[in-house]
Amino acid sequence: MKREIKDKTILDEFAEDFCKIVDKHCKYIICSGFVAISHGRSRGTEDIDMIIEKVSESEFIKLHNDLIKNGFECMQSQDGKKVYAYYLINKDSVRYTRKGEFLPEMEIKLAKDELDLEQINSRQKIPFTGLNVYFSSIEGNIAFKEELLGAEKDLEDAKHLRIIYSDKINEDKIKLIKQKIRRLRLKKND
Amino acid sequence: MIRDKSHNEQIERWADYVKNNSDWKIKLKPFLDAQLIIASRVYKKLAETKEGRKKIIELRKIHR
Repeated sequence: MKREIKDKTILDEFAEDFCKIVDKHCKYIICSGFVAISHGRSRGTEDIDMIIEKVSESEFIKLHNDLIKNGFECMQSQDGKKVYAYYLINKDSVRYTRKGEFLPEMEIKLAKDELDLEQINSRQKIPFTGLNVYFSSIEGNIAFKEELLGAEKDLEDAKHLRIIYSDKINEDKIKLIKQKIRRLRLKKND
Repeated sequence: MIRDKSHNEQIERWADYVKNNSDWKIKLKPFLDAQLIIASRVYKKLAETKEGRKKIIELRKIHR
């Protein structure tokens, strides 16, 4: 199924415009709610979650300045050095919108452990969505939503993705990611 | 835990539709866009009021 430009939502256009700039500077993934929404999950969201590889301060400042030059602004600070030093390096997320707009937002975090890195390294473009952005794997999204996040909307997102990919999902891969989530994020040993 | 039975059934029904019909995006687009258009309109109006920006920061915290 090929999607036409006219089908694109405000979120789709925001995501593609933003990712096009980030892609010039580092590897990234879009994960969590927007993965489900871009697969037709019928719920709204005001932000899109992005994880980027752990870039240096100078690399991040270049990315930040490129985003500013292209009409985005950061809610935390217009100074890339501050955004990196006060937020990202401390594992806090930062949020970008189009200049003068309150939403949608892109919430960015630096990759913080091997789980994030694995997700980034196995990133993929997903033809079903019709979007030119890199997503984390469907299995990864299901695993995070079921094992770590667990809110009602997350379980519903996971259920939706399970139905869409009922004939393709790799359950072993989901189990493996869930094990790593328990070990690395929940500090539990199986 | 997923909500009640009828809600659960609705999720299944819609996911099946998305899986099997190529026009799902056309059906979904107005709903997704409307949510952002309305929220954006409210935030902009609120920003023009006294204490508006402070309220927006509080609202954004709730939505995260």
